[in-house]
Amino acid sequence: MSDILLQAENVGIRFGGLQALEALNLTVRDKELCCIIGPNGAGKSTFLNVLTGTLRPTSGSVRFLGQDIAGLPLHRIARLGIARKFQIPSVFPSLSVEDNLKVARWGAPSPVRSVGELLELVALTNRAATLAGELAHGQKQWLEIGMALAIEPRLLLLDEPTAGMTPQETLATADMLLRLKGEFSIVAVEHDIRFVRALNCETLVLHQGRRLRNGPFHDIETDEMVRDVYLGRR
Amino acid sequence: MIARDRNWLLVFVVCVVLAVVYPLFADGYQLTVIRDALIFGLFAASLDFFWGRTGILCFGHAAFFGIGGYIMALVTLNDAIPFGSLLGLAGAVTGAAFVAAIIGYFLFFGGIRGSYFTIVTLAMGVICQQAAVSWSSVTGGDSGLIGIPPIEFDLGGLHVDLSQDLPSYIFVSAIVAVAVLALWSISRGHWGTVLTAIQDNEVRAAALGHNAPLRLLVTFVLSAAIAGLAGALYVCMAGLVAPDLSGLLLSTEVIVWVAVGGRGTLLGPVLGAIFIQRAQQTISSFNPSLWPLLLGCVFVIIVFVLPDGILSIYARLKGLFKGGRRAQ
Repeated sequence: MSDILLQAENVGIRFGGLQALEALNLTVRDKELCCIIGPNGAGKSTFLNVLTGTLRPTSGSVRFLGQDIAGLPLHRIARLGIARKFQIPSVFPSLSVEDNLKVARWGAPSPVRSVGELLELVALTNRAATLAGELAHGQKQWLEIGMALAIEPRLLLLDEPTAGMTPQETLATADMLLRLKGEFSIVAVEHDIRFVRALNCETLVLHQGRRLRNGPFHDIETDEMVRDVYLGRR
Repeated sequence: MIARDRNWLLVFVVCVVLAVVYPLFADGYQLTVIRDALIFGLFAASLDFFWGRTGILCFGHAAFFGIGGYIMALVTLNDAIPFGSLLGLAGAVTGAAFVAAIIGYFLFFGGIRGSYFTIVTLAMGVICQQAAVSWSSVTGGDSGLIGIPPIEFDLGGLHVDLSQDLPSYIFVSAIVAVAVLALWSISRGHWGTVLTAIQDNEVRAAALGHNAPLRLLVTFVLSAAIAGLAGALYVCMAGLVAPDLSGLLLSTEVIVWVAVGGRGTLLGPVLGAIFIQRAQQTISSFNPSLWPLLLGCVFVIIVFVLPDGILSIYARLKGLFKGGRRAQ
């Protein structure tokens, strides 16, 4: 049991009269890859915010390496080894690509990869001096993944990493994540099914803030109930 | 980036050379005019160090200038305190830094940013000025304190006596040059890059492990400390301290100096302070009430037309010229 990295137990969150999440459980083991999927409004991003400690759950708890992380300041959570890629690409537009990665490395307690290695990993070596604000959308997404990697995370949380990407970029991103899988745990929130299929991992399906199904992706894909929800039949 | 650094150093060296040769051509009075303008230039650079790098405007920066001035005055006017000048300077710097640390702590860790920060610091400036007026048993009230002696101290066998024009000019120029160079090296390296990142997206910077509020606080405190130093230097040169030194008008003027000189350049605000004060003296000699009106107009024009300062005209023209050539 000691290889459990992140454990969310019975997480519920209520915004005023709205029960946004209810009784969710998630266990992420070391070096495991898992996906959270669900239709729009299912509570995927809210759940991810709870997992990163930015939102405090109204019930239940989130523990990272046994420590309760709810309500810790953001930079402390980052220094525990939780990296996060936001849904809207949030790079630093007035800094160069290289400086973006430098700022990310400086925040890390003990950075391992050099800026050069990071640039190579996200295929931006020849754009190092470009202002991040001038990158194409897909490149911004990759740069942000590179920044998340720079802090040498134990756990990488990705919020819709492929939003706005072309199908080729989406598959290239999936490839990159599969390559990185052996280094740390990854939790990706997505609703692009092609991407999740390419990752082919443990998947949690949310619907209206509750767990609908969980299991390996090929079981999920053939599940009648999941298909109904995705096609809007319920 | 490298080319920009080289240009900056070039301009810096030219300014230092000008400051060194100036006494050869100027009489004592002209020297004191430039000396006082340089002190306000240091004050402008201190504001620019915070505003230019964080994008957060402090509208009460004169409060720190005034705090530094009053501490210097009270220490040097008290005969019971030995080494008055040195202790006064140290006290002025730490006093201003201390006040900035307390106010900044609550603002930055309380999540106050942007216009709200500006409004709160505006109130802080007004409170400081009111305190200086009302606490008359210590501050001398409206009329302030007069008879502040010039700076004089012995340091490692070196006797510094700034009662004469030339030594005081040299001393002030040297301090301004060292301070501006130091602030510049801080703001272009690691520290400045992270501040720019925080300015772009504070949540993102925090999610990468940077303690953004702490970094903003330290920058603010450093900025206030330099403002306090400028205030202390000024009251020794002028020989008096008055509530105006922490007032709203000076807070506004320093913003204009920075805005005109070019925010984020550190050198620009020093030059802006010198030139605008020169203009103020010329214009006020025609009609004293004309100046506040013009100051206000310049401020509005700068904000709307040239948000990056007068120096940006050159960059814009260059861009226009290049753009034109490319079109051919």
